[in-house]
Amino acid sequence: MRSPAPTSTWKSVLFSHEGILLLVLVAEWVFFYHFGTSINRRGIVVGFGTVDRQFDILRHSCEIGLLALALTPIILTAGIDLSVGSLLGLCAILFGMFWHDYGMSIPLAAAGALLVGLLGGSLNAVLITRLRLPPLIVTLGTYSLFRGLAEAITHGAVTYTDFPASFLFLGQERWHGLPTQAWVFFAVAALMGLLVHRTTFGRSFRAIGFSPEGSRYAGLPVERRLAMVYVIAGLVSALAGLIYTARLGQAKADAGTGYELFAITAVVLGGTSIFGGVGSVTGTLLGVAAIAVLKNGLACLPAVMRMNGAEELSGMLTGALLLVALAGSVLPKYLSNWRASRHSARSQPQTPSAA
Amino acid sequence: MNRYFRELSVAGALALLLAMLAIVAPAFYQPQPLLSLATREAPTLVVACGMTLVIICREIDISVGSQFSVCSVGAGLLAAHGWPPALVALAALFFGAVLGAFNGFLVAVLRLPSIVVTLATMVSLRQGLNLLQQGEFVNLPDSLQWFGLPQSDGQWTLVASALVLLAVFAVALRHLAAGRFVYAVGSDTEAARLAGVSPQGVKFSVFVLMGVLTGLAATMNIIQSPQVQPLSGSGLELKVIAAVVVGGVAISGGRGSVWGMFVGLLLLACVSPALTHLHIEAYWEKAIQGTIILLAVVGDGLRGRKGGG
Repeated sequence: MRSPAPTSTWKSVLFSHEGILLLVLVAEWVFFYHFGTSINRRGIVVGFGTVDRQFDILRHSCEIGLLALALTPIILTAGIDLSVGSLLGLCAILFGMFWHDYGMSIPLAAAGALLVGLLGGSLNAVLITRLRLPPLIVTLGTYSLFRGLAEAITHGAVTYTDFPASFLFLGQERWHGLPTQAWVFFAVAALMGLLVHRTTFGRSFRAIGFSPEGSRYAGLPVERRLAMVYVIAGLVSALAGLIYTARLGQAKADAGTGYELFAITAVVLGGTSIFGGVGSVTGTLLGVAAIAVLKNGLACLPAVMRMNGAEELSGMLTGALLLVALAGSVLPKYLSNWRASRHSARSQPQTPSAA
Repeated sequence: MNRYFRELSVAGALALLLAMLAIVAPAFYQPQPLLSLATREAPTLVVACGMTLVIICREIDISVGSQFSVCSVGAGLLAAHGWPPALVALAALFFGAVLGAFNGFLVAVLRLPSIVVTLATMVSLRQGLNLLQQGEFVNLPDSLQWFGLPQSDGQWTLVASALVLLAVFAVALRHLAAGRFVYAVGSDTEAARLAGVSPQGVKFSVFVLMGVLTGLAATMNIIQSPQVQPLSGSGLELKVIAAVVVGGVAISGGRGSVWGMFVGLLLLACVSPALTHLHIEAYWEKAIQGTIILLAVVGDGLRGRKGGG
């Protein structure tokens, strides 16, 4: 057995992951402020550097932010949920259907959509905890199932629109100075922060992520805690679906397609280990901000710099960012392992594996 | 319980579906549409062979759909520049090998989790392709179609070569040392290492092979039509993983066979035409595929609990 090499501590002392990420975020912001802001013919500042644009970024990051918050405890337990984006779409569609086709009031339809989210999350939870199936393949199945149901319900064509202004207020207006949905996002972030960092639940998520068997022997109700994180994720995905619908004023079957990638990227970028056990909600929030600034900033750049495709470019860069963040997270360990193996090879010259 | 119980139960489900179709919709059994179906699914089968290996060694690759698109468009562009068909095919394999090696490097050398790595490469490749190609189709020269064969000969050749590949993989996985290494690494990495197998080497090779097979599948796809759609491979990963999982290959590694995957693929491939013949809207396809995946893993979970394996 190879014993874990002693971690080099000077790096972790000098820079916390969140600290580095904050620097990256500031650098990113300054870059886009410099290249993405311009003054139009009437002498008005347009582009990235305006206050409105900052509110826009906040508004646009709420849905992916909510999914990322939902994924943080899951990834802390070394799990994964690929179905959050599909569940967002299904809940958005069902909300529209409850309201439009069944004549429910908006609050009732919203409650219905949240209930569906809860059920969707529970389906994942039951399959993962009762049958002990791997989260990856379970949520891959529900990823397909939820999206498929949304498509089947709408025949791939129906779009629900014409929501009342009182509902659109949630997604398109401001309340006390900030975009309305930002308050929801901050509230969920605060609750999630409390749950993960200030309660024994959060501690048990980490413990399960480090070692599920060890947690079981320590007397933690591992199955119940795991079920909890997936159910919460379902509920939060439904909430994100409502906000998505309110922001765009329409519910379509393809709502939230690919959001799971951005959410997972935000979480991993935020320093939560994909192997479980390590991570923070603050990190996730910074990760969400970094992705949102990238996405919006690219759209503000002159066409030459974004190669005529801000959406595609931001998707591509987000994927690349995820790889860099992952590689960055293992590189110190990899290097120290390599150094340790070289060191042991040198101290024991008789071993033949000194390549 | 019988060693092949899992494969046989899927085969039973397939037989049931086929029998039902024979009674309700005999129109399903016409040679020409069936040949077309087989030709359409031949590239999927090739990718699924690679995916079987990837999953047996306890990894996953969800970037195959994007790899498929990149290889198709890349090879298509070369063909449009007048490269001869043989070189175009080789180039597609080469593109696949490079993309597979990239994934393999990140997974095997840097030891990153394959699900996240390939999620990232899936999106980066897809969006990069969209950025460069802007959704434009690539027009192919006539010489590339069916490699110059008449259409039905070309279709038969395609299906036959996919089946030969399947048989080769079945034999190699079962009887070659390299095939046994894949199982060894998937069932217990540490034991495999102690037995002298390099798990990282095996994983890297499997990812490269996955890429090469995806390139081959892309070639088999572009010779079927006069144009390459940049979106041609989207959703392929899900279809292929579904076939592998339904066919009884354990996602936890070390267990399963190419034959199981083949039966799973046949079952899933018959769903879409079955829907048409049973007059069910095609929009249900994704939901039904998701349900089949869940049913298959639930079945495995229940059996695993009872049998303790």
